[in-house]
Parts: sequence; structure tokens; C-alpha cells
Amino acid sequence: MAVVVPLRTMASVDPDGELLLRVAEGERAAFEALYARYARPVYGFALRRLGDRGRAEDAVQETFASIWRSARTYRPERGPAAPWLYAVARNAIADRGRTRGETPTEAPDAPGDDPSPLEHAEGSWVRWRLHRALEELPERERDVISLAYWRGLSQSEVATALGLPLGTVKTRTRSALSRLADLLEGELG
Amino acid sequence: MTDFRELLDGERLSAGEEARLRRVHDLLVEAGPPPELPAALAQPPSPGRGQVIRLPGSRRGRVVAFAAAAALAAAAFGGGYLTGHDSKQGRLAAVRVVRLHGGGASGVIRLGAVDRAGNWTMLVTVRGLPQLASSRRYELWLTRDGKRVASCGVFKAQGSATTVWFNVPYRIRPTDGWIVTKSGPGETGPGTVVMRA
Repeated sequence: MAVVVPLRTMASVDPDGELLLRVAEGERAAFEALYARYARPVYGFALRRLGDRGRAEDAVQETFASIWRSARTYRPERGPAAPWLYAVARNAIADRGRTRGETPTEAPDAPGDDPSPLEHAEGSWVRWRLHRALEELPERERDVISLAYWRGLSQSEVATALGLPLGTVKTRTRSALSRLADLLEGELG
Repeated sequence: MTDFRELLDGERLSAGEEARLRRVHDLLVEAGPPPELPAALAQPPSPGRGQVIRLPGSRRGRVVAFAAAAALAAAAFGGGYLTGHDSKQGRLAAVRVVRLHGGGASGVIRLGAVDRAGNWTMLVTVRGLPQLASSRRYELWLTRDGKRVASCGVFKAQGSATTVWFNVPYRIRPTDGWIVTKSGPGETGPGTVVMRA
């Protein structure tokens, strides 16, 4: 016999799904919270696909306008919110590409790299999930990740930059990686 | 490149946990940093402002949505809109339909797709605006965050319904709005708002 799970219960295990349900009810605060979580992933996605900051900004605006208009069509029993939001963003970005008569294309990750469309799509999705997950990290953990990965600092240099003991930096780094692994459980393969 | 071993040097990890964290490490290296949001995106859009009907992109969906938007316009104008302007409307494949209201007047802005140069064609129909003295005029403005940012053009109203075409080169965002003002020669201000979306 099938077990009937109330929609609200299902959504409650997916914070983004819960927010979407509240957006569907016209709750502005939920919309702003969703924007805080997804604006950067959407912008990053749009920037890579469109290759133009102005058009990427427009695509972000269009994405969130679409989310506001379409949130009521989200069905939590069909899956978590992240893929739904990704699809909305992808469509908005494709529309933005079409308005200029161009086919949106993903910028290659590296010169000479020529991945298949499927690999492109998977790469976009994983990048989207990772950037979304980064928004979930406590600021102190996000700082050490940012300095280590994107400023290229060693752990000792991170400790100096933040004025922290080296052990604290290592603890925060491990905690951040572990937290990201939890958040990306489905994508780690 | 960030060295995974250096990151977790001295940490006691099981083989499974190390593999799990290494996968995250690889993703971080591969994905790169998320971009900084430009100032224009610091705040979320205000989707509640105005009413924008975005029509689907597919040909069939566009026809259906076009009909729905036209029906909405017809309802808004008491049914006289379609019969009076059918041939002219047919030449604009609208990607958005925005409704205008104000006083006893109503209107519809139909936006065609932006061309390659960045121009938007707009078909604007207003109904119920009184005819002004010959020296006065109506003006359609693009607004953003409640402030007028650019004029889309001026027009005069005559009869029960007036339809005018505009072509504007502005970047139009989904959350932008429009207002219609009336003004005359010698008036220093931007005019009185008579309709808004």
C-alpha cells in the first residue's frame, strides 16, 4: 500500500522547495530568500552561456520574474526544487540568446577542450549545484575555501590573511568540504 | 592549483571520507568561483509591479498565447478592440503584452521581439483617453523601479481607441514598467501621469 506523504512534509526536507511553495503563495520574503541563494548561480550560468554581462543580467531578471510567475506550477512530489529552478534559468537564458538570433553556447572550460553537449549540460548542472551549495556555507568556511581555491593561497597564507591559527584554518577547510559533500550528495557520483 | 594533500595534511581520514572530500575538491577546482553579482542585481526584481504576460516561444504555443492575450485585450476594451484593429495586430508577433490602466482609460502595449540591433517594436493601443488640445500631447515612458528612464514616443488620442507604433532601442527588462503622461508646450515638468502598467 502506498504511503501518502503530505506535500508540505516533502517540501520541508528540501528548503528550496519550501521557499518555492511560499513564493507560489505570493510571499515576497521567500522570493528574496530564494534570490539570495540562487542569484549568483543563475548569473554565473547565464554569463557562461551568453558571454555578455548585460545580457546575463537580463537573463537573471527574466529567470526570477519567471520563478515568481510560475512557482505555482512546481510540484514537490515530482522532485526537489533545484532541477526545476535550473530548468527555468536554462529556458530564460535560451530565450535571451534567441532574442539576439544566436544559439546560446557554453564557453569551453579550457582552450582546445571540446566536450560533447551532454558533458556541457552535466558540467553546467554540477557547477550550478556547487555554486548554490557554496551559498549555504557559513561565511567563515566560505572565506577559507575562497582564499584557498580561487586566490591560490596555501593554508599557512590563509591563516595569515585571516589572522587565524593554522589548525583553525584546517578545521574550517575540512568542515567546509564535508558540508559541501553532504549538500552535493547526489552529484558526487 | 590548490593541493588537496596540503589542504588536509595531518587530518585523520578514512579512505571513504578522503575520496568523498577529494571529489568535492575536484569540483571546486573544475567549477571555479561563482561570479560577483553586479550592482544591478544586488536586489531581487519586483515582479509584482505591472502585469506582464510572457508568451511561449513555440510556434503553436505562441499562437495559442497570442489568442489568449488578444482575448484579454478584447475583454479589457469591451470587445471592440479586435474588430477594429485586427489587420494591424496581425503584423506584430508579440512576445509580451502589458496592460495599462488609469482613470477611466485602459490600454495594451504589445512588444515584438527585439531585432539584432537591439530595437523593440511596440504596438500601443489606448482606449478612453480624452482628446487633448492641439498643443498638448501624450507620451509613453519606460519606467524602472518606479522612475521614468526613457521616452518611448509621443502621440495624440482621437476617438474611442487609438493605436500607435513605436520603435525603441532601450534594453527592456521583464520588471520594467510604463506610464503615459500628458503635457503641453511651456510645461517645465515631465507631465501628469494618466496611465501606468
